[in-house]
Order: sequence, then structure tokens, then C-alpha cells
Amino acid sequence: MITYDHVTKIFGEGANAVTALEDITLTIEKGETVVFLGPSGCGKTTILRLTNRLESITRGNIFVNGKNIREQDEVKLRQQMGYVIQDIGLFPNKTIADNIGVVPRLLGWSKERITKRVDELLTMCRLDPDVFRSRYPAELSGGQQQRIGVARGLAADPEILLMDEPFGAIDPINREQIQDEFLKLQEKLQKTIAFVSHDIHEAIKMGDKIALFEQGRLVQYASPAFMLTHPKNKYVADFVGADRALKVLGIIFVRDVFNPCPENIVQGLATAKETLAFIEKEDINYAIVIDDDKPVGYVTPKILKYEQSPVRDLVKAFPDHVRKRTSARDVLSFMLMHDILTLCVVDDNGNFAGTVSYNDIQKKIRETYTGEMKKDKGDRL
Amino acid sequence: MSVLQFIIANYKQVLFLTWEHIYMVGLSLIIATALGVPLGIIITKHEELAKRVINGANVIMTVPSIALFGLMLPVLAIIGHGLGKVPAVIALVLYSQLPIIRNTYVAIKNVPPSIRDAGKGMGMNKWELLREVEIPIAVPVIIAGLRTAAVMNIGIAAIAAYVGAGGLGVYIQQGIDRVYPEMIISGAVLVSLFAIIVDGAMALVERIVTPTGLKVQKRLVQ
Repeated sequence: MITYDHVTKIFGEGANAVTALEDITLTIEKGETVVFLGPSGCGKTTILRLTNRLESITRGNIFVNGKNIREQDEVKLRQQMGYVIQDIGLFPNKTIADNIGVVPRLLGWSKERITKRVDELLTMCRLDPDVFRSRYPAELSGGQQQRIGVARGLAADPEILLMDEPFGAIDPINREQIQDEFLKLQEKLQKTIAFVSHDIHEAIKMGDKIALFEQGRLVQYASPAFMLTHPKNKYVADFVGADRALKVLGIIFVRDVFNPCPENIVQGLATAKETLAFIEKEDINYAIVIDDDKPVGYVTPKILKYEQSPVRDLVKAFPDHVRKRTSARDVLSFMLMHDILTLCVVDDNGNFAGTVSYNDIQKKIRETYTGEMKKDKGDRL
Repeated sequence: MSVLQFIIANYKQVLFLTWEHIYMVGLSLIIATALGVPLGIIITKHEELAKRVINGANVIMTVPSIALFGLMLPVLAIIGHGLGKVPAVIALVLYSQLPIIRNTYVAIKNVPPSIRDAGKGMGMNKWELLREVEIPIAVPVIIAGLRTAAVMNIGIAAIAAYVGAGGLGVYIQQGIDRVYPEMIISGAVLVSLFAIIVDGAMALVERIVTPTGLKVQKRLVQ
């Protein structure tokens, strides 16, 4: 947990003094990722550098796990936090293994323990240890170097990670991929992360909360969904963009909206006649056919009329199925493309898990705009 | 080939003068490195000092060597070393300072800020950062400074023959006095040869001490 308590940072003195941060108070909870967001010069990098004392605090205090950082040895403080920067800053004179092992070595780990940890981290970053261990940074692509940068930050398994635009120097395609990998990693590791970014998309994707800065002041501190649906003022609204309703779709997932036990289900072996009766009784337009736990398609009264065979032979197949982790954005895009308003949700084995419809998504968005106001009030600033 | 004949006929003296030359240049280089490299590193952490130190070394460099010997003579005469190897070695040490200090300073300064930032941010103290990152990255350029100093000193040491320091300059100086062309040319050729060999040797040292990672980087950039 990191607590910023009325933190002010002024660079320079007298007439040349520039206030980089003014009276910032916020808390990053344990296991939470907070994105410091804003245009360049807003103070987002400064607040990160105050956290590991690369810059000194002018006024106020920062507490890491309840301890005031002013009262700690700065070198020891930095060793217990991972630090990842945009320019990566790998040491060109050291091998990849030695680069990753820097902090463990500073902490006095044994050689065997460091070697083991390096291999573990390389594997975690999906780089083959046997290939990359003894290479030099110059031999790696930008994306690979950035992965090593993250691995180095994680080397001593710090509870806290400070990341300063860690994926900023990578091309968009690789960036998406590394972001996804990192999110998956974070799900397992549950680090407390302070993450600097100037990119609203990245902030929405990576952050549990976003702290939006403007010229050294904290303008709004809220969850991405809340910030998108309830921007505090025009600055926030402009920053998150006019298409913020669409951006909300990116943070709503099928698992948040789907219907796990829809009523319009029939088993594949049911006859057309039975199904027709079922549809009429339930007063629905169509029924989804499940066979051997897998969705095979849907049937409408029009299809079923005058037919005798089991419904599984009569179905119209779905163009594709979605998963619980699919975003509402992708689901909607799919619905538009295939002109269909309901899709089946399947698990990783392809088994039927429920349905998701356009109405489900719309309902959720409406809730986000109205309901969250009350729910989120607690942690609003 | 009267020059060759001269060298063969006087090979014992040639070896002795060569040894004197090596001694002067070698000793001065060791002292100059011990002074210049730490000084160069220190001034990277103290900007206000850096300008003064480098300007000072620059001023020394602009004084002609023969004039420097003249200036040192009365001072060193007080301790009875106005002539001989002492003024020679002092002069060589002073002249070496500019290339050594400047190269060390520039090399450390040129370590990319992101690398320094990363090291510091991960919890390296100043000394660890210097030892593990800054010096290894700077070492090729520092050695290049030593190389410049060594080659330059071989030339200046030849002039030191005028203050009785010995070395291969003796042949040039005496040859001129005695109008003995073989002697002059022998001295000149031997000094030049010595300089070329040292230059080559230092280039080799430069290559050996350059960290592999930097060599890889250089190769890939090209």
C-alpha cells in the first residue's frame, strides 16, 4: 500500500521555482494498479520518482506500507520496489541474466538462487532461458528488451512496482501483446503498481483506478468505468474523449453481463414438434439448441413447421461463440457484423455457459451510468 | 644502410636509451592514470569543478614542452633535481592530464541517463553504479585517452633529452650537435617506431578491456 499525504513538489527556488505537484493526496491499495495519467508536464512522472526518492519531497509525506519513506534509507527503499522505465535502461555491458539479477545480487542472494530466479523470470516473459540467458541487450528486439526490463523490475519479487510508461517505446502491435501478457501476469502476482501513462487507452486497460493529473494537480481519482461515465469536469471529459461511451465497452466483459441460465434452451434430441410447443408456451421467438453440452445453433418456429426430425438436425448455426473474457466491445462488433442480437457464451472446452444479448450489454451500460454513482462514492475523492 | 649499421654497432646503448624512454613514459603514464582517471570521475559529480579542472589541463597543454622544462628548472633546482628524469616525468604527467581527464569525464558523462536512472532506481549506491555500470561502459574511451597520452608522451620524452633525462632523444640532440646524420636518423626512426608499437599495443588493450556487450552493440549498430 502506498499513501500520498498532501504531497507537494517544487523544483528550483525563488523566482525560478516551478510547482510540479500540488497537494496530492491519494492511496494505492495493496494489489491494485493505479495509473497516473495526464499530458506531459502534468507531474505524473514526478510523483513516481518521489515514491522511490529519486526526487525529494518538498512538503507532505509518502507512506509505503505505513512507513514514512523519509525515515528510510533510500537505497534500501529502492531495492524493495521494482522500477521499470520507458527507456528500459538495460546495462549494455551485462548479459541478460546479469541484468535481471541486479537487485537480487545487491540484496546478497546466493548464485544458485539468482540463476534459478533468472530462468524463472525469463520463462515467465516467454523467452527461452537457454537462448537468452547469455545474450546481450543489443542483440534483443525492442519488445524483448522491454520484457527484460519488466523481468528485472520483478526480479527480487518486490511487493511494489513503479512503472514509468513501461510500454511507451514499443510499436502498437507489440505493445498490445505485452500489455496483455502483463495483465495476465499481474492477475497471478497481485503486485501493488504505480503506473505512469499518457495514453487513455492504456490507462483504461491496465488500471484498477486512474489518477488524472493536470498541471501538478490531481483532478480525478476513480475507477476507469467511473471516470468514463462520470468525468468530473470538462478537462476530464476532453481527456477521456468524446467516444467515452464506446470506451466503456472495452472494460465491460461478457462475464459481467451474460445470462448463465437462459430459458429458451432445448436439448438436441427433442423433436421439432415438442420444440414448437415449447416455443409457443414460453412465448419466445427462437430456441437455442444444446447437444452434448455444446451449443449447436438456434431454431425458429418457421424452421420447425412441418418437420419431424430431432431439432439438432434442423438448426441454424451461430456464426461463432464468445467467451466470458470477451469484451463487450468485441461482442457488439460481432453482433453488428453478423446481424444477430444474441450469442452463446462458451467455456474453454466449448461447453455452453450461457447467452449474451444486446439488451444485456445495454442494461449494463445504463447501470454503469446511473448505479455506479452511488456504489463508487466511497472511494471517490 | 648506414643507419642500420649505426644501430647494430651501438646496440647496447640503443637498448639502454630505449629502456630509459620506456621507463620515463611508463612511469609517467602510471602516475598520470592514478591522478587523472579518479579526477575525471570526481568532476563528473561536481560540475562546477569540471570546467576549472579541464581548463587547467588545457592551459598546461598549451605550454610548449621546452618552455615547461625551462620553467620547472629553477623550481626543481631547489631540491637538486633541475635536470634529469624528475623534470621529465613531471612534465609527462602534466601533459597526460588533459587527454586522460577529458576522456574519463566525457566517457562517464556520456553514459545514457536512462541507464543511470535505472541503476539508481533499482537501489544501486553511487559506488556500485560506478563500478558495475558507468566505468565498464566508459572504459573504451578512457583507454583511448591513455593511448593518446602515451603516444604524445613518447614524443615529448624525446625532447626531454635536452634537460638530461636520457632516452632516445639523446641521439637526436647529440646528432644535431655533432652533425652526425646517421645518429639523428637512428634516434628519429627508433622513437617513431616505439610510438607506432605503443599505439598498436594500446589499441589491443582497448579491444581487450571493452566489455563484450559493448562490442556486440557496436557490431550490430554498424
